[in-house]
Amino acid sequence: MADGLSHVLLAFGLFTATGWVIGWLDRRWIAVGMVGSLLPDLSRLDLILDDSTISRVVGIPFDWGGVHTLGGVVLLGALGAVLFETRQEQRRGFGLLVAGGCSHLLVDAVKRWADGAGNVPLYPVSWWRPPTPGLYVSADRWVLGVAVAVAVTTVVVDRFYGRGSAS
Amino acid sequence: MDRSRRIVLLGVLLALTLGLCVHFGATYDRNWPHPTGEQLAEDPAGWDGERVLLFGEVQERTADGLVMTVEDDSETVVRTVTVRGADVSVQVGGVVQVYGRLSERGTVQRADSIVVVNESPSDGQYKLLTSLLGGMLAAGLFLRHWRIDPREFAFRARKRGEDDG
Repeated sequence: MADGLSHVLLAFGLFTATGWVIGWLDRRWIAVGMVGSLLPDLSRLDLILDDSTISRVVGIPFDWGGVHTLGGVVLLGALGAVLFETRQEQRRGFGLLVAGGCSHLLVDAVKRWADGAGNVPLYPVSWWRPPTPGLYVSADRWVLGVAVAVAVTTVVVDRFYGRGSAS
Repeated sequence: MDRSRRIVLLGVLLALTLGLCVHFGATYDRNWPHPTGEQLAEDPAGWDGERVLLFGEVQERTADGLVMTVEDDSETVVRTVTVRGADVSVQVGGVVQVYGRLSERGTVQRADSIVVVNESPSDGQYKLLTSLLGGMLAAGLFLRHWRIDPREFAFRARKRGEDDG
């Protein structure tokens, strides 16, 4: 996975640009999409409560990695969406949380793997490992540089030509 | 949606999410094409002669490669593997992915391809710090536009949009 800050900045760029064509996608909802882009990273809960400890205590296999998949994103997106007040907010919240989570999985899909195939983003639908072009590893500093450039460019374009120009 | 219905739905979705992690954990080993740390510990020679992908922490650099340790889920070292043909820039304490043929009861791997995940331990700290910053940025922007109502277990918009229903 790329670092979390890169995921959030890329999601900011993606949803701000999408907001230029979708009227209701304002700053409030862009922020929801940015939160969504971090949903797969909840697999890092492993750092606090690791899989083997849970497995040992509960007596059944357990792997936080399940969250870092399409299935995990959909369930966590639904969990987040339930917390919004109105039906319309719940629909929008669900869509943006899932879209943000999927943007994370897509960015991760082009990461470098030694055997040329990526993780299992489509689980539980499939255990298929998509071939990866191997563009980066998470520790590459230039990834964050690109993400910052995308976010800054988006802010500038938004200010002069997008929604920001109207206010 | 009222509070009690929301709490029930949250409980159901939380149970489904944890259930997904249980299913993932229970089926991972037979669906992942490479040996996990646990499998290597149980059957060290089981993959000799096969090309496999292993993750390891670098313990030592050698003339033509490196020595790495492979861990299981509980971070117990299950195998020390000598990797040959690994001409990469990585320090002791770094993390690598190695794809290549295993031999000698899983203790030697000839690298066909190697990816340096963390060149040094500081790379791990960099990823953790930037991820923390990402979390703070997303949470900060979210809370600028939404507030948490602890009594109702709900997010409320601080300012409603014109087209809100």
